[in-house]
Amino acid sequence: MYVIEVEDLYFSYDGKTNVLEGVSFKVGEGEFVGVVGPNGAGKTTLFKLLLSFLKPLRGSVKLFGKDIRHFREWERIGYVPQRLGVEQNFPATVKELLSLVADRERAKEIAEYLHIDFYIDQQFLKLSGGQQQLILLGMALASNPQLLLLDEPTAGLDIHAQMHITHILRELSSNEGKTVFMISHDIGLVLKNADKVLCLNRNVYYYGEPEGSVEVIEELFGISRGVRDGTP
Amino acid sequence: MELLSYDFVQRGILTGLMVGISSALAGVFLILRRMAFLGAGLSHAAFGGIALSMVLGVQPFLFTAFFTLLVGNLVQLVTSHRRVPGDAAIALVFSGGVALAVLILGWVKGFGEYIFGYLFGNILMVTREELLFTFLSFLIVLIFFSLSYKRLVLLSFSEELAKLKGTNIALMNHLLISVSSLVIVLAIKAVGIILASSMIVIPSLTALLIGRSFLSSVLISVGVSVLSVLMGIVLAFYYDLPPSGATVGAMILLFSLAFLKKSLSS
Repeated sequence: MYVIEVEDLYFSYDGKTNVLEGVSFKVGEGEFVGVVGPNGAGKTTLFKLLLSFLKPLRGSVKLFGKDIRHFREWERIGYVPQRLGVEQNFPATVKELLSLVADRERAKEIAEYLHIDFYIDQQFLKLSGGQQQLILLGMALASNPQLLLLDEPTAGLDIHAQMHITHILRELSSNEGKTVFMISHDIGLVLKNADKVLCLNRNVYYYGEPEGSVEVIEELFGISRGVRDGTP
Repeated sequence: MELLSYDFVQRGILTGLMVGISSALAGVFLILRRMAFLGAGLSHAAFGGIALSMVLGVQPFLFTAFFTLLVGNLVQLVTSHRRVPGDAAIALVFSGGVALAVLILGWVKGFGEYIFGYLFGNILMVTREELLFTFLSFLIVLIFFSLSYKRLVLLSFSEELAKLKGTNIALMNHLLISVSSLVIVLAIKAVGIILASSMIVIPSLTALLIGRSFLSSVLISVGVSVLSVLMGIVLAFYYDLPPSGATVGAMILLFSLAFLKKSLSS
């Protein structure tokens, strides 16, 4: 059984221009898939369709073998959103945020696993970008999900924070068998860590092993080898 | 405590405490949901409701509560599909409510003095009927926030995460607006139409400045609100001041102190 099955998916916000056209792919259990593509390629829209925040124009989405229209087991999915847009005075502490999605015991487990326990009483908005992303990941892990959907979890982070988050995701995929489906603008990071790469630009340009994606990424997105490898 | 020996003061204090707690609770979530201006919009929409209740000869508080609730939910409905920006919709009901009241007052003569009481409120003139209405509304507000606290905090943090955890966003927004409409009508009795939104905004804003957690912010908001109401009543009683002005003045004083504390510590 596949964790994600997308078949001939179409979506449009205005009914005129398709944001996604005939998108099809399957993600197996425990796979780490990196989704890349230029701005406006439909990556975040694809996530919203997977989470049932949007309804497809055409095509089907299945999660754990079940059609998204009838899927109700959302605790099997952990989601890290791209932007929070949270009010600047939002006062909640890390402990309070974890308590919204997990009981005390589970919150403690997550805090220890992610090593966020030493700033658990601090306010979320006073933490660094990397620490905030860890909290969001912690919230996503609260229900011990089998599938993790992450929308640019390393965007705007310094290299250490990026490596730390990616290392955790890699560990969750390899050691705990969780399926990781992650959008990233960092091509180098995806090529280095993902089992598969999904190149999206309204439709799927490439889906497979990272090695085979290099030429497609260079051609389709105009990305030079230097950018891809993270070197000048 | 001479003032406590008067019935009207006792009713005023009881009402003030219930209104203070209700508005402080609603305020924190409204500010964090970027709906702070809703208080001003709904209180002015309520002005139209009060004027309408006078013409119809119905119980003003009950009628205004339903009227404000209806207007608040209409605002939510037209803004939820992003066809009309939220602040514009609030501005619409703000001016619409005042326009309705002005039209009615121009048409029906003799309500001027009566309306004046609603414009500026007077917590020391609460009737037993109004006290009962306040108590019932207070219970509704308390039950709503007790049952929905976690959902509302998550909603203030991320709508998407709240949705994924099974929260019906549209329903929760409508419930928050409905409860806030009720709170606004309560606040009108305490400080009047013109100052009602201050009951929602100032204590919460003060709390969000100095609160070190969500819970502590909620508690500080309630504390600031209750303290201001009590200060307002005491000042009004002993110095013959308008209670609404004294209450809001106390709120602004507490906000200024919190702002100073925050500025000095950062």
